[in-house]
Amino acid sequence: MNVAAESSKLRTARVKERKVSLGLLLRLGIGLLVLAFFAYRFYGVLARQAYGAETWARLAISGLIIGSVYAVIALGYTLVYGILFMINFAHGEVMMIGAFAGYFVLEAFAASGFSARQPVLAILITFLAGMTVSMLVGISLERIAYRPLRGAPRLVPLISAIGASIFLQNAAQLMFGSMRRTYSNPPALERNVGWVLDIAGKPVSITYTGVLTFAFSVVLMIGLYLLVQRTRLGRAMRAVAENKEAAALMGVDVDRVIANTFAISGVLAGAAGVMWGLHNGIIYHYVGFIPGLKAFTAAVLGGIGNIPGAMLGGIVLGIAESLAPAVLDMPFQLKDVLAFAVLVLVLIFRPTGILGEVLAEEKV
Amino acid sequence: MGLRTGIRTGLIAAIVTIFLILIGVHMLMGRLLQSWFYVPAHWPGVWLMVVLLGLWAGSRAVGQMKARSWGNALLAGASAGIIQGALAGAALYLLASITQAGVDLRAWLTQMSQESIAALTLGLAPLPAAGFIGGVLLVSALAGAAWREWRLRVHAARLARGERTVSLRERLLEIPAVAQVSSNPLSRRVLMGVFMVLLLIAPFFLGQYWNYNLGTVGIYVILGLGLNIVVGMAGLLDLGYVAFFAVGAYTMALLTAPQPHHIQMSFWLALPIGVLLAAIAGILLGIPVLRMRGDYLAIVTLGFGEIIRILSKSDVLTGFTGGPRGVRNVGHPVLFGKDIGNEFYFFYFILIGVILAIIITRRLEHSRVGRAWRAMREDEKVAQAMGIYTLKYKLMAFAMGAAMAGFSGAIFASRNSFTGPEDFVLLVSINVLALVIVGGMGSIPGVILGAFVLKGLPEILRELEDYRVLVFGALLVVMMIVRPQGLWPASRPQLERPRPEEEALEEAPAELVEGEVGS
Repeated sequence: MNVAAESSKLRTARVKERKVSLGLLLRLGIGLLVLAFFAYRFYGVLARQAYGAETWARLAISGLIIGSVYAVIALGYTLVYGILFMINFAHGEVMMIGAFAGYFVLEAFAASGFSARQPVLAILITFLAGMTVSMLVGISLERIAYRPLRGAPRLVPLISAIGASIFLQNAAQLMFGSMRRTYSNPPALERNVGWVLDIAGKPVSITYTGVLTFAFSVVLMIGLYLLVQRTRLGRAMRAVAENKEAAALMGVDVDRVIANTFAISGVLAGAAGVMWGLHNGIIYHYVGFIPGLKAFTAAVLGGIGNIPGAMLGGIVLGIAESLAPAVLDMPFQLKDVLAFAVLVLVLIFRPTGILGEVLAEEKV
Repeated sequence: MGLRTGIRTGLIAAIVTIFLILIGVHMLMGRLLQSWFYVPAHWPGVWLMVVLLGLWAGSRAVGQMKARSWGNALLAGASAGIIQGALAGAALYLLASITQAGVDLRAWLTQMSQESIAALTLGLAPLPAAGFIGGVLLVSALAGAAWREWRLRVHAARLARGERTVSLRERLLEIPAVAQVSSNPLSRRVLMGVFMVLLLIAPFFLGQYWNYNLGTVGIYVILGLGLNIVVGMAGLLDLGYVAFFAVGAYTMALLTAPQPHHIQMSFWLALPIGVLLAAIAGILLGIPVLRMRGDYLAIVTLGFGEIIRILSKSDVLTGFTGGPRGVRNVGHPVLFGKDIGNEFYFFYFILIGVILAIIITRRLEHSRVGRAWRAMREDEKVAQAMGIYTLKYKLMAFAMGAAMAGFSGAIFASRNSFTGPEDFVLLVSINVLALVIVGGMGSIPGVILGAFVLKGLPEILRELEDYRVLVFGALLVVMMIVRPQGLWPASRPQLERPRPEEEALEEAPAELVEGEVGS
């Protein structure tokens, strides 16, 4: 056997295999099909002039608002994933509990007239209540359901998270009932009231609650970014996310940092819950499930572990979800289906997300 | 030292106690004691729960301490009891005073009816009532602490004497009858045979209700065995398994029912078509997720399950799927002109399905395919390096699992004569996943046990219906912490006799046991 000839044959064979694989062909094929479908439907919509400019504007605005809520929740997911490599399935439920905490506080304020007299203070305290309760739930969640499973293979904490999620949903259902509850907004901040713009001759409204939601979300995002980049705790979090053992060797209390991460993600979820209640009005024990799922999609979309990525992913998903039914000429009832479709497409074509993952360790 | 432990435990115990009261478990205990033990009133059950919680608090406080000391134990028990009692008493005080001021708390906390709170106050004014419950908790905690201290000392003395702790399994095997049966293959077969005969004649004696329920358990066994192939044998965490169930059910429904499509095919024809379509759906689902990581795979499959449900419920596809109201008058199997679509005959149907599923699973497990799956599950990269074409085997796993789900779905739809989007909620997928995990991943008897525990038990414990899902969620968390390999774990093939310290590890797939570094 001529070694030189054999090895050169191997070399060329290897190079040839790298060029075109079955996976690549499949993905190209699927990608082309999807693009063709999009183009066809969009062309149909444009040709029919089915939606006027003011509808597009309205959809974009509502997408931006809901996207900012998704972004805040997605930040919670991404923080936990970056440190523990696990999807905190119960995150949506943490948001739900925050929404309920805010609900009870606001109800008490509305009954006593405090909301009418001091709306700003009332809203502030409501947010504080929601954020605090969610923070406590997040910390307890970590302590009870995740910490004992720290070293276990990935499947185990995932199932524990699913169990915790179901438990929290049902605990809320047993305690508060399954009926839908409506947030009693203070009179100064009623839902569906706001400024009215004039776009292409038709009115488009920008609600006060929507503006509050968006503004507060931006504040939270900036706050989190500063916390992670500029504070000691943030540095410790980044260190633990990069390499747990090395961080421990450098004197970081890993348990404390992880608990703090869950606390922060809980605070964010609580804020999102209260915002959801104020803006959308209706809360019930299941309210955290779908937004939780979509926020995870957003986190993946932006690049899991990546904080600006989560923010970007949230906004993009919100706008996409809002505009997609109109663009693709599909009924708005199928909005959730489109959000999931986005997830699948992202995971097929760019699993690392738009801004790329930030995971130093190679995932096994 | 005992003080700190006691306070911490007391806080935790207080939260648990207040939580259980808020979700009405005390009333549940009262009702259970009334209906099971013919206790005349409901307050004995309520206070039994209080006492048990106190006992637990004291016991846990002492359990946290390493050194044995009566003084510390009683201190821990007392402090735990005081904290728990004080906080629970304060909560009761609040609830009682608000209620007695005339406010109906049920608008906020649905379980806090007058009756519910009165069971705890026993007719006393708020302050004495709080004192009473605090006192009861304190006394129980002290008792619990004392008991635990005693047990731990006994245990320590045993260890000092050199006695090994005996596991439940070993203790069962000590009973001569059990040892003989478990070692002698013939007696095992006889036992199995007796069991089969009992199963075969059971439907004649059980009423309609129990035939239906056992049938449901059987359907979940088939579902569990199917998911077992995907999750347990191939290691692919599928959270959207209900989608394949839906495909099978809807295929059967849409092909045999008069309504949306007027096809009205025979049951016997629709069944294999349903299985086939489900298998195809499995392959279609498998293709996009082939390269995804475990967590992402879970979420994407979850998304798929939800997509199928939303699509089947949507107005836009109502013409095809029957919309939110579902499909009625699903066809029944007809044998020699006789409609055999009732619970009685379906029981046998499902039984045949279960036996087939078991046979298929065992054959697969001990075949090349099964070994390929096991290799992929343990470490995908190594499996690929050994020449296993993971693509093919992953798709095969999905297809097989989906086919089994499709079969169950078709039977399910036909037996109920009706199916609709509400039959295919996420909870079904999680139910099946839970019974595979709780029973034992990758283990056939485990899955069957899991199905009985998670589907059969709630039927027997009807009063607990409201709390079923709650217990479920808690069970998942607890199982993962305490026994992740399940109740009846799969046994790994052994090349050599295990050493004693490896014995426990031998029972579980690597997925659930290993993972010290880099996880």
